[in-house]
Amino acid sequence: MMQQSQAQAAALAVAPSVSAVAPTMSHPNDPAGGDAPPKQVAQAMERLGRAGRLIADIRLGADRLLEALFVAGCAPPYSAPQHIDRTSRAVVQEEAAMRRHFQDLRALGRLLMILSLPHAVFRLALKAFTDQKRRFFPHLEDEVLGQIQDGEPGVTKKPRLSANGELEEASLSEILKNLGNEVPNMKIFTYRHLDWSKRASSLASLMDDDFVDPSKELNLQNMGNSRSSALTTSIDQVAVIEFLVPSIFRAIVSLHPAGSTDPDAVAFFSPTEGGSYLHARGMSMHHVFKHVKVSVHFLLLKTFIVLQRWIASYQTLFTKVCSKCGRRLMMDKSLALLLPPVHRPYHQTSNVGPDLQEAYHIGCSSYDI
Amino acid sequence: LMNWHPSPGATLNSQILAEACGCAESLGGAKDGRWKTSIYFYRSMAREAAAGQQGQQGRELLGVALHERPGLYFSIIRNNRLVLQADAAFPQVMEKLQSYKARVALNFEGFQYQLGDFCLRIGKCVPNNSETLRGIMMEVEYYPLSSIEKSRAIMEDFFDIWQETVAKKSLPGHFIHVDSNFSEYGLSDQYSFQHTAVQYATCLQQLLTVARVQS
Repeated sequence: MMQQSQAQAAALAVAPSVSAVAPTMSHPNDPAGGDAPPKQVAQAMERLGRAGRLIADIRLGADRLLEALFVAGCAPPYSAPQHIDRTSRAVVQEEAAMRRHFQDLRALGRLLMILSLPHAVFRLALKAFTDQKRRFFPHLEDEVLGQIQDGEPGVTKKPRLSANGELEEASLSEILKNLGNEVPNMKIFTYRHLDWSKRASSLASLMDDDFVDPSKELNLQNMGNSRSSALTTSIDQVAVIEFLVPSIFRAIVSLHPAGSTDPDAVAFFSPTEGGSYLHARGMSMHHVFKHVKVSVHFLLLKTFIVLQRWIASYQTLFTKVCSKCGRRLMMDKSLALLLPPVHRPYHQTSNVGPDLQEAYHIGCSSYDI
Repeated sequence: LMNWHPSPGATLNSQILAEACGCAESLGGAKDGRWKTSIYFYRSMAREAAAGQQGQQGRELLGVALHERPGLYFSIIRNNRLVLQADAAFPQVMEKLQSYKARVALNFEGFQYQLGDFCLRIGKCVPNNSETLRGIMMEVEYYPLSSIEKSRAIMEDFFDIWQETVAKKSLPGHFIHVDSNFSEYGLSDQYSFQHTAVQYATCLQQLLTVARVQS
C-alpha cells in the first residue's frame, strides 16, 4: 500500500539522520567527544540505533492511525457504526503502543544523557527527534514535550535529573531569586541576546578611560539593574545571564533555548574587561580566567542551580589557598604561568558552602571538572 | 613598587640589575621592550614678602611622567599629601606661571617583562644628566584585578616568590616594598595611575633615604 511504503521510506529517512550522528562518536579520543571510553561509545551508538527504531515505530503507528481515520472518513454512511467501532479500537490500540514507544524513548534519552556525549551530538539527535515529533504529533507536545527538552520559547519549567538522581523542577526566575539570596556578594543580571551585545560594548567604552572612576563600576551595576528589572516580565526571552562579583570576576552564561534553565556555555572575565569578545563562548585576555573552564559533561548533567553555586565559589579565586599544596600563587610548570588555584570540583553532595568548597591548582588537581 | 635595599656596606652596581632581569626570565618572563618613568623636582618660587619673616622654604613638588601614560603628568606635594593628574602640557603651565621651577630630574628606566598575567618593570634610577646609579627598583603589575584590597594576597604571594628567586642568586641586598598610604592622598581602592605616581614618589623617598645612610 502506498502509505506503507511511505512509512518505510520515512523510517529510512529517519535512520540516516541518526546514523549520521554516529560517526562523530566513533572517535573515543576525540576531545569534543568527552571522555567516553570505547565501550560506552558502542553502548551509546546502540542506544541511538534503538532510538531510531523507536522513532520509526512511532511514525508507523501514526500512519496506521491516519489510515484508520481516513478509511473511516471515506466510508459510506451506512457502514459508519462499524467503522467507528473498528477505528476507535485501532486508535486505542495504537495509542497504547505509541505511549509505550514514547516511554521507551524517554528512558533511552536519559540513558544517553548519562554518558559523556558531545554536547553538539546530543543536541543534534534530540533536535532531529523533536523536529520529527513536532511535525507529526503537534497535539502531543504539551504532554510529552514538556518532559523532554523543548525548542519552543515560553517553556520555563524543566524537570532535570539532579546530581542525586532526583527530578528537580524549578523555573528560571525562581532559581535566580534564590541564588540572589544565597550569595549576596554576587550580582545577577539577565539579558536577551541583543541586549547583552550592547552591554558588552558599553563595558568596553567605560573601561577605556584615563580616569578610572570608582563610581563607574557602581554605575555599570545600576545600569544592569534597571535593565534586568525591565526584563523580568519577559523571562522567557532570557538568553544571557551575567554573574558579577565586583572587583573579582564577571561570569557569562548563555541559555539555550532562551528562557530555559539549560546552560549552553559559560566563560569568566575580569570585571575590567569589555567588548564584543565578552560572551559565554568567548575567552578572557587574562590567563587566570582563561583557565577557569567547565566541561561539556558538567554543563549537560548538572542542574542550573549547581552551575550557579559553582560560579559563586570563584569569589575566592584570588584569596583561597590550594587544598592540596596549601599555597596560593604558584608557577604551573607545564603552562609556565603563575596562577592561583583555578580548579573547583563540584561534589555530588550539594549545599556545600563556599568556604568548604575545595580549590586546586591545575597541577594539583586530580579532578576533571 | 619594590626598592632594592643593598646590604650594609655593599654598593649598587648594574650587575644586580642584570641578575634581577635574569630572575624575571627564569620565571618565564618574556622581555617586552624598554620603559622609562621620570620624576622632576620642583622648588616653589613663592616667598613670604612680609617684613621680619624669614624667607620660607618653598614647597617641594614632584612631577611624575609615567611610562604607561605619556599624555598625562602627575604633580605630587608629599608634605600635603596632594596628587594631581593633568595633561602632559602641565609643566609648561608651571613654567609660564613661574610658580614652580624644575631643578633636578631623575629617570627610572630599564626593561619590561611579561609573565603571564603579571608585568614586571625592572630598572635603575639615574639622574637625567649623568650615569651615576642612584638606585635599583622594580614595578609589578597584575592585569586581571584593579582593586587593591582584593589583589593584596596575590601581590604578596608574588613578592614571596620573587624574593625566593632572587635569594638564589646570593646578591648583596634584597628587594623591599614600602607601602604608600593611598588613603592619605585621597585615593580609593580602585587602582589608578595616580596610585602609581604616588608609589614612585614613595619609592624615590626610600631610595634617597638609603643613599643618605650609605654615604
